[in-house]
Amino acid sequence: MPDLPGKQEKLTVIAERVEAPPRPEAKLRRDSHTRRMARVGWAMSTPALVFVGLVTIFPIAFSFVLSFSNVVVSGSGFALENPTFGNYSELFHSSVWRYSLAFTIFYTVVTVLVEVVLGTMIALVVERLTKGRGLMMSLLLLPWSMITVISAELWQYIFEGTYGVLQAIFQAVGLGSPVFLGTPTSAVVAMMVADIWKTTPFVAVIVVAGLVMLPGEIFEAASVDGASGWTTFFKITLPLLRPTIAIAVLFRILQAFGLFDLPFVLTGGGPGTATTSLAILSYKVMFEDIAYGPGAAVAVSATLLVILGSLAFLKVFRSQVGREDVQ
Amino acid sequence: MASILLEKVGKVYPNGYRAVENLDLEIAEGEFLVLVGPSGCGKTTVLRMIAGLEEISTGDLKIGGAVVNDLEPKDRDVAMVFQNYALYPHMTVAENIGFALKLRKLPKEEVRRKVEEAAEILGLSEWLDRKPKQLSGGQRQRVAMGRAIVRSPKAFLMDEPLSNLDAKLRVKMRSEVRRIQERLGVATVYVTHDQVEAMTMGDRVAVMRDGVLQQCDTPQQLYDHPVNQFVGAFIGSPAMNLYEAKLGPDATVISLGSQTLRIPESTFARRPALRGFAGRMVTVGIRPEDLSVAIPGGPTDGSLITEVQLLEALGSEMMVHFSIDANLVTEEAAAEEEEDILVHKGEGVARVAPDLTVRTGETLMLQVAMERIHFFDPETTWAIW
Ligand SMILES: Nc1ncnc2c1ncn2[C@@H]1O[C@H](COP(=O)(O)OP(=O)(O)OP(=O)(O)O)[C@@H](O)[C@H]1O
Ligand SMILES: [Mg+2]
Repeated sequence: MPDLPGKQEKLTVIAERVEAPPRPEAKLRRDSHTRRMARVGWAMSTPALVFVGLVTIFPIAFSFVLSFSNVVVSGSGFALENPTFGNYSELFHSSVWRYSLAFTIFYTVVTVLVEVVLGTMIALVVERLTKGRGLMMSLLLLPWSMITVISAELWQYIFEGTYGVLQAIFQAVGLGSPVFLGTPTSAVVAMMVADIWKTTPFVAVIVVAGLVMLPGEIFEAASVDGASGWTTFFKITLPLLRPTIAIAVLFRILQAFGLFDLPFVLTGGGPGTATTSLAILSYKVMFEDIAYGPGAAVAVSATLLVILGSLAFLKVFRSQVGREDVQ
Repeated sequence: MASILLEKVGKVYPNGYRAVENLDLEIAEGEFLVLVGPSGCGKTTVLRMIAGLEEISTGDLKIGGAVVNDLEPKDRDVAMVFQNYALYPHMTVAENIGFALKLRKLPKEEVRRKVEEAAEILGLSEWLDRKPKQLSGGQRQRVAMGRAIVRSPKAFLMDEPLSNLDAKLRVKMRSEVRRIQERLGVATVYVTHDQVEAMTMGDRVAVMRDGVLQQCDTPQQLYDHPVNQFVGAFIGSPAMNLYEAKLGPDATVISLGSQTLRIPESTFARRPALRGFAGRMVTVGIRPEDLSVAIPGGPTDGSLITEVQLLEALGSEMMVHFSIDANLVTEEAAAEEEEDILVHKGEGVARVAPDLTVRTGETLMLQVAMERIHFFDPETTWAIW
């Protein structure tokens, strides 16, 4: 829906004019009541708001401030000096940051793409199941419900370079003994495999939910109209699933872009900087190099990018298929 | 173009419910068959079986001579108008209507032409670019109809396709549907709840009840010679008045409550079996339109003295709801439309000329068209003839 600012303005003006001046005593009574309710509301939500403020808003705001400051660390703590854009210009000139950014984007695009395709395929099968659908869904959610650090450790056993399961298999079938996490390409691929294993089921479950919501008769109508299975999928199912898939993609973009646990456990960002995501980079700069300003700048840049990316995605997706398309 | 043949077709749903039993039906090439029956009698199930959307539990379905029981819907080449439209929500009206044609790889230009033609007929030209969500119920229903009529399939299956249209549009659509169907010469099964549609559109009308076909015949035959009480009461609106009655010992008179009617000799020529019921109870069916206001001083051996309960002036005619002291026989399953419910309250209804000056509570003498009354066996509910 295109915005109609002019129209809206007009509406507000009319609304203002139409509103009759309330009788004084009514106003008084309503106001004191409203105010009392508001006070109660504020009083009751204050603890929660304070908590949320402390644990999310403050850190975000603080890292934003950090990223624009020259942070001087000394024995007794740290001080913020001279607001500066230096942290960012340092970033933009750093090849590590640029690699990290490219890697994170590449990683996000590939994993999300594969997960959505695989997840949708699995969902289509699961949705068809007449028996054991519930069981299948719970099984599917197992990898997803596992804490990432733990699943990363499991994959570590598989990819490990001396006694890893996968290497043993490779040896057994005579494919040599590759060190999966030892070369940049194989490390990236290995990490993607672990991610896809864990997250595809999540996408599948969301898509199953979307599929179940689709009106069944339109598939019957399509078959009577002469559509084959493929045509039905591409002309009916997929377009109608678009909003659902878009939501899954959005979730996944936000998550994948913050990629941290997997490289942290599996590769520590290596070999070299091959698997250094923006989050890993930020962590390293901040806590290994103790460079708070630049570290915060990495974090803020990542956050801004992912927000912009999501907004752009939402905009495209909205104009393509709005909610109004699904009855 | 093809005929549709159902041979002892039955449907048992997975939950064990027998929705259709032993259905024998033939719809000839180019024939327009109207399928009627009370809600839940299995009409939609029959259509869905023909379309291939529902597995056929027993019996054979032939389209164009070949058994198609196991053929996928997409390979049966039938067009269906769904009871609840089943429009593609993400496509525009034009895309909805043209979908089947596009799948058949018709040239774009031809698809567009056919879609526009259908839209023109259905009065949808203005809305071709809208999505179904942005249409009214009646407009959506016409889109559903459009999806069928753009095609030239082997069969049309239409499930109450005009139910949501206003009276005027419905009248127009009826003739359009028949015109298109005749032009294409496609065998058509048309489900409706509308008496007028059933009578005016169908080459033949099939009446179903609880999954069992009761009678399939031309509208006039159905109206004149219902095979049983159910069909008698179902066909015709307002419904036929049914009374318990006793046939005289020599079968020349019949008593409804305290009143007696003389049975004309000609009746026995048409209903020889009636003599067998001499001295026994029968169910008498009198259609509202077979009752008229008796001329004062005229013959009284074919008239009933009634008490007027309610008058409904419809402009061109008047419905007189009356009571007599005979016991009413109710055909519950046939009582579907609101007017039928009224009939039960008033015990009987007559359809007379509107110039009647009588008030509720007054006595009215009604003349019965004796040669047109129906007789049913109260035990089997079958017609006596
Ligand atoms: N999937 C199903 N499983 C079990 N029973 C069903 C199923 N679908 C329909 N039925 C039953 O079969 C019977 C016939 O249903 P159907 O939809 O054919 O009726 P209908 O004649 O089209 O009714 P209406 O005029 O209300 O549309 C109904 O009693 C219904 O409850
Ligand atoms: Mg139905």
